[in-house]
Amino acid sequence: MPYFDHSATTPIHPNVLNKMMDVAQHNFGNPSSVHASGRKSKAIIEESRRTIATAIHASPSEIIFTGGGSEANNMVLWTLIQSDKKHVVTSAIEHPAILTVLNKLEPMGIFHTVLPVNHHGRVDPKRLEKSIQADTGLISIMMANNEVGTIQPITELINIAQNHGIPFHSDTVQTLGKIPLSVQDIQADFMSFSAHKLYGPKGVGFLYKRKGLSLNPLIIGGGQEGKHRAGTENVPGIAGMGEAVRLASKNLAKRMKHLEELELVFITYLNRECSGVIINGDPNHHLPGVISVSFPQNRSDILLAKLDRLDMEVSSGSACGSGSIKPSPVLEAMGIPEAQNISTLRFSFGRENTEEEVIQLAKALSQFANG
Amino acid sequence: MADHIIVGISGGVDSSVTALLLQKQGFDVECVFMKNWEGNDDEYCTAEEDYKDALAVCDHLGLPLRSVNFSQEYWDKVFQYFIDEYKKGRTPNPDVLCNREVKFKAFMDYALELGAKKIGTGHYSIIDDSNGYFRLLKGLDPGKDQSYFLYLLDQDALSKSMFPIGEIKKKDVRKLAEESGLVNHAKKDSTGVCFIGEQKFFKEFLKKYIPANPGIIETIDGQVCGEHDGFMYYTMGQRKGLGIGGGHGSLEAPWFVAEKDLDRNVLIVAQGHDHSSLYHGQLMADEVHWINGSVPDNLSGISAKIRYRQADQKCEITELSTEQCTVKFDKPQFAITPGQSVVFYRGNECLGGAMIDSRK
Repeated sequence: MPYFDHSATTPIHPNVLNKMMDVAQHNFGNPSSVHASGRKSKAIIEESRRTIATAIHASPSEIIFTGGGSEANNMVLWTLIQSDKKHVVTSAIEHPAILTVLNKLEPMGIFHTVLPVNHHGRVDPKRLEKSIQADTGLISIMMANNEVGTIQPITELINIAQNHGIPFHSDTVQTLGKIPLSVQDIQADFMSFSAHKLYGPKGVGFLYKRKGLSLNPLIIGGGQEGKHRAGTENVPGIAGMGEAVRLASKNLAKRMKHLEELELVFITYLNRECSGVIINGDPNHHLPGVISVSFPQNRSDILLAKLDRLDMEVSSGSACGSGSIKPSPVLEAMGIPEAQNISTLRFSFGRENTEEEVIQLAKALSQFANG
Repeated sequence: MADHIIVGISGGVDSSVTALLLQKQGFDVECVFMKNWEGNDDEYCTAEEDYKDALAVCDHLGLPLRSVNFSQEYWDKVFQYFIDEYKKGRTPNPDVLCNREVKFKAFMDYALELGAKKIGTGHYSIIDDSNGYFRLLKGLDPGKDQSYFLYLLDQDALSKSMFPIGEIKKKDVRKLAEESGLVNHAKKDSTGVCFIGEQKFFKEFLKKYIPANPGIIETIDGQVCGEHDGFMYYTMGQRKGLGIGGGHGSLEAPWFVAEKDLDRNVLIVAQGHDHSSLYHGQLMADEVHWINGSVPDNLSGISAKIRYRQADQKCEITELSTEQCTVKFDKPQFAITPGQSVVFYRGNECLGGAMIDSRK
């Protein structure tokens, strides 16, 4: 069944699965044990750490394994409780794993400023500059948005943070494997990643933490992950993530080209056959293969269900199983009118999608939307 | 290709077996879970658990399940009315409105837009079109018949609906569910108002939406015998929760709500189930609705129910207009309740009904 929802999650890569099966079958040891079984498991997770560090040009000690992207985000934000500086700057289009956490932190004395975005979903660096206060202890702005694919002027934003000596965190869950990402170029202090967005397993991710910065653990117990994350490591998951990152890094140019081609075919078809469609996001700064399209006069939930009946899987702006047709807060923040908002679908292509599939999808959409 | 039917599935056994039967009949079945209530009422609402049951059933049957949210429609068209009625001291029945406004309107429109030919729901009633129009008949299981709640449907709604369990008894519905391995085959029937759930939460729930106006309780003879917490907590004929202690009245018999004196905010009670003030021979009702679209040619031999599960009561409809009617019963009726519906039957056929406004 054609799957066009890779920003939600991706199918596991066969090599990743093989790696995980192999590790799960032959290595049960606890990485903290000093005997041979333990050492073997420890070697596996450290190999994965080196692979990941190499892929983003970091050093292995800067990689902290977590239970996913949300956990990595939480670790960074909850650290503020013990910081002297209690103010955070973020953007209006962050994932709930940032915005909901910040709301939760408010009664604990952590206050935040939400920066607006423009019609394309980008933060204005000048606004960031103005929002900084004497007690700003963190800036957290996502690198690329999951709903519209817009990429932020991240280098400019980081420069401002550096000029003020403020740590910068970026939710980079959507980026790895889709665009080049080196911590030498993107000098954020913290970055959150998730394995299942790049053909890896679910329930595992990592936090990049630049050397020398402090971070409080969320999960306390044993001394795993340099005392940053207690609990016996998910050895097969970490091994699978390492393999997924290695493949993503090795095949990046090929994957990007493939996604760009699919996107071009899709948009060209829609623009030609489907009257009145609106492509949301920033045409000059966006993730390849992530496309937000509004189909005026149509309801996203109806389109979604009709596609589902053809076994074509996509997603609407407003996520969640409730099925409600609530306007997407991201599109709302971009100033998109409600009628357009609730007629918007997100398509996110992946490595296994073909041109034929994408044309089929565009065809089906044109039929439904043109009624 | 088989007709596409969309089943409204609640996670309960009735709607699950509805989906099962339609699938067995060869239809192209798709299930939709409706979420009609939202808010901070998690403690009352079992929607999440119900969704999981619906998902388990659909997964087991290999049927697609999606969910849709009609909480806005429910709030505007059903809940506001529910609250307004309580504020007027009446006892509304939200289920009849929910059927007309949400299940057989918003949900039906949604299903038709998705390309469905008809909707299927787990109601214990029968749709019969052998007479050239669509008749609503009582469900086969006398203990479960739900035509009372469906009297506001019209020809259009009935022509696009299917009630496959109407011709089956409840115990057989459960048996079918069990034989087919549905996880919810033994799940308890839902009771009470759908968005409140268990009856025990009712008082607490109402308090959040309606300001309570406490007052005194008087006997039918004008003797003060207690205090009430606000009219919304009481309904005609209610026996429990009046808090009338000993010393009032000479008999051991229990007390019942007989009347609400709106002008004085006084709740009036009578002692003994047979007390004459609890019985009325006539009611006046408005918002008259006929399922086939017009007043039946012959109004003789009609009976009515003034509450769900009541046995049919012989009656005569007089002073009928398009909006209002008076209903005279052969036998006086216990606790005729303003805000509830009077639903008309001829034999097995549900003809329509009206909202009870007053009685005498």
